[in-house]
Amino acid sequence: MPEQSNDYRVVVFGAAGVGKSSLVLRFVRGTFRETYIPTIEDTYRQVINCDKSICTLQITDTTGSHQFPAMQRLSISKGHAFILVYSVTNRQSMEDLHPIFDQICQIKGDIQKIPIMLVGNKSDDTQRELDASEGQALASKWKCAFMETSAKMNYNVQELFQELLNLEQRRTISLQVDGKKSKQQKKKDKLQGKCSVM
Amino acid sequence: MKPLEKLLKKPGSHLPARPAAPPGQVPGPGSLPAPRRQSLSRPAASPEEPPGPAGPVPGGEGRWLELRPPEVPLRSPEEPSPGGDRDRDRERDREPPSPEPPPAARCCCGCGCAPAAPAPPERLLTALLDRLPAAEHGKGCGAESLLDDIVLTHSLFLPTERFLQQLHQHFVLAAGSPPRWEEGAGLQRKRAVLAVLLHFLETYKGLLQEEESAGKVIKELYLLIMKDTSLYHDLEDEILKLHQLVETVELKVADETPPPNKQVKPLFRHFRRIDSCLQTRVAFRGSDEIFCRVYLPDHSYVTIRSRLSASVQDILASVTEKLQYSEEQSTREDALILVTMASSGEKAVLQPSEECVFTTLGINSHLFACTRDTFDSLVPLPEEIQVVPGDTEIHRVEPEDVANHLTAFHWELFRCIHELEFVDYVFHGERGRRETANLELLLQRCSEVQHWVGTELLLCEGLGKRAHLLKKLIKIAAICKQNQDMLSFYAIVIGLNNAAVSRLRLTWEKLPGKFKNLFRKFENLTDPCRNHKTYREVLAKMKPPLIPFVPLILKDLTFLHEGSKTLLDGLVNVEKLHCIAEKVRTVRKYRSRPLCLELEASPAQLQTKAYVRQLRVIDNQNLLFELSYKLEPGSQ
Repeated sequence: MPEQSNDYRVVVFGAAGVGKSSLVLRFVRGTFRETYIPTIEDTYRQVINCDKSICTLQITDTTGSHQFPAMQRLSISKGHAFILVYSVTNRQSMEDLHPIFDQICQIKGDIQKIPIMLVGNKSDDTQRELDASEGQALASKWKCAFMETSAKMNYNVQELFQELLNLEQRRTISLQVDGKKSKQQKKKDKLQGKCSVM
Repeated sequence: MKPLEKLLKKPGSHLPARPAAPPGQVPGPGSLPAPRRQSLSRPAASPEEPPGPAGPVPGGEGRWLELRPPEVPLRSPEEPSPGGDRDRDRERDREPPSPEPPPAARCCCGCGCAPAAPAPPERLLTALLDRLPAAEHGKGCGAESLLDDIVLTHSLFLPTERFLQQLHQHFVLAAGSPPRWEEGAGLQRKRAVLAVLLHFLETYKGLLQEEESAGKVIKELYLLIMKDTSLYHDLEDEILKLHQLVETVELKVADETPPPNKQVKPLFRHFRRIDSCLQTRVAFRGSDEIFCRVYLPDHSYVTIRSRLSASVQDILASVTEKLQYSEEQSTREDALILVTMASSGEKAVLQPSEECVFTTLGINSHLFACTRDTFDSLVPLPEEIQVVPGDTEIHRVEPEDVANHLTAFHWELFRCIHELEFVDYVFHGERGRRETANLELLLQRCSEVQHWVGTELLLCEGLGKRAHLLKKLIKIAAICKQNQDMLSFYAIVIGLNNAAVSRLRLTWEKLPGKFKNLFRKFENLTDPCRNHKTYREVLAKMKPPLIPFVPLILKDLTFLHEGSKTLLDGLVNVEKLHCIAEKVRTVRKYRSRPLCLELEASPAQLQTKAYVRQLRVIDNQNLLFELSYKLEPGSQ
């Protein structure tokens, strides 16, 4: 993918089937589907406000299987922010995030300034194996942020991305093209109605 | 330096309009299946020579066609020999054909026996089977040549399945009782059928896996033959061979279990950084699964998994599903269309029925999915080249290593091409449909190498460094020629003659005299004058293994095709088939011995290998000119 200097690259990692694509598509297109289609690698671009000018949010949705370790390394080295997704219905999926986190640390070195969000998806599902407290505990250990989401119910999806961008201290980024809107207003606005996608 | 005016007229030296469609696209008689898209990766080969007595050529706008017919002993007869009297021919077909030497023709193998008389498509096989017994007794080498000709080219006038059905039929008839057949003649016919089947299997090999219906017919015939005890006595060896061949081609039959899950092959251009680029290339088949990227207007992309032979419709279905578009959407006005876009911004819509489009893309072209109304606003992806001038691998490596890795890689690609792809590529759109992906990939690669030399030079800012690089590239071309890798050689020379490069007067002037001379020699060698006479002469002196300049072979085949009709008055032009098959046989000859290059596996070598196999090039001619003017504003 050609790099542009004003891209802000967010990469989404996680085990197969935890809901990475669902989260991304819910955010980018506002849609949700039950059918499972394994991802290979997709990237979605969205124009956003950055340092009072326009830049592009580039969200890379990765594969949950381990087919392309080289691509994974490349995504990490080029990424600015990371979302690590597990499913609250599957304990193993949380375990699976450890090697990914380690690799990010290894490649990035100092991760203090790098926005990382741990996400427990499928919070709507009653068949839980993991409590929010466990997610929070891991996030504390990793010194990163944490939230639970549900792509299906469209719960906390906008917030996830907004919060991630808020963590970015090197630049001032907001999701709305018009940066003057209030926080409340921002939460209410539907993304696809507001941002102009090229 | 040799004046380049005529070369400047070639397609590569100005903003490319749609490359001239080769005649394969010109609709032939009768209705066509959906024409396959023209491959955009055709290299800017064969600049046209000054207009001479070239003679009119039917159809096509290709520059390639303006050249004179090939001078090698290939004829392009306008009509089949001997005469067109239908009744006479029909009568002749009833009895074993006694070929009368036609006026101008002679057998290409030089033994003096006459080629087969033309016959209607349905009867050509009969004519062959009649001739074959004579071949066994040492007279009539023409029969063996005819066998090869027909196996290679029958799809031009008869679908393969039909051909095999006829073969099957002949065997069944030969098993009939005595009154029908003379003593021993029935057995002779069976042997002839077996000979044809063996040759067919040996030629097609792995390609048969793609042809389910043909596979079925073969399997039936095979079983018939195996059960026929009358043959065992004399033909034990052939029967054994048949058995082995049928096993190795792995014919699929309905009742058998499907083959184990084949690994998905990345189409490397989209997945450049995967370590598998170092693996030896294997041939692509239509049923292979590949990963490919499809872009959206805002330059988002999705990666889909697809059969290589997938239709545009299938691809759009996958994309639609991925993006979670609803089903109703595909029937509304905002249904998605699939578009190819070159790095220059040139774009074209693909028709839903087109197939196997992945390998027809130009080097830096991409597939886009958009709605009809967003088509006009599509813009190409920004250049992928990290413009870190003058710091690529090429500056650090030895010319020998680069040349050897180029040759090794191109040999792999060359070997992946099935013989039939040459035939299918040129005659595609007129009959049947087979994938020519491997040939297209080699052509794409040829174009890539051409653009590579220009890209590396134009990204090199210092004059001295650039002149040094130019010298190195000429050296690489020389070593490739020594390796008998004429593909790389030609591609580099053409690349260095790209107008954006050849205008760098200061750089060229800094070349040592020895290299100026050397390059002049190279230009002479690649001179298209008199239909590439010099090159052909040099090639004729080489012994296999060698890698030819493949675009020229395709040009010859195209010319052969345009030069005469396949069917005239319903009769097959056997001479034309023969000429085409001869061309394919030269390719066979070139590959008849293995290429042995000693290449170590040290880390440095592997780095060079990876570099060579993953060339990053600029193919946007406008951008190349821009870079060129920046380096040397100059006067012209």
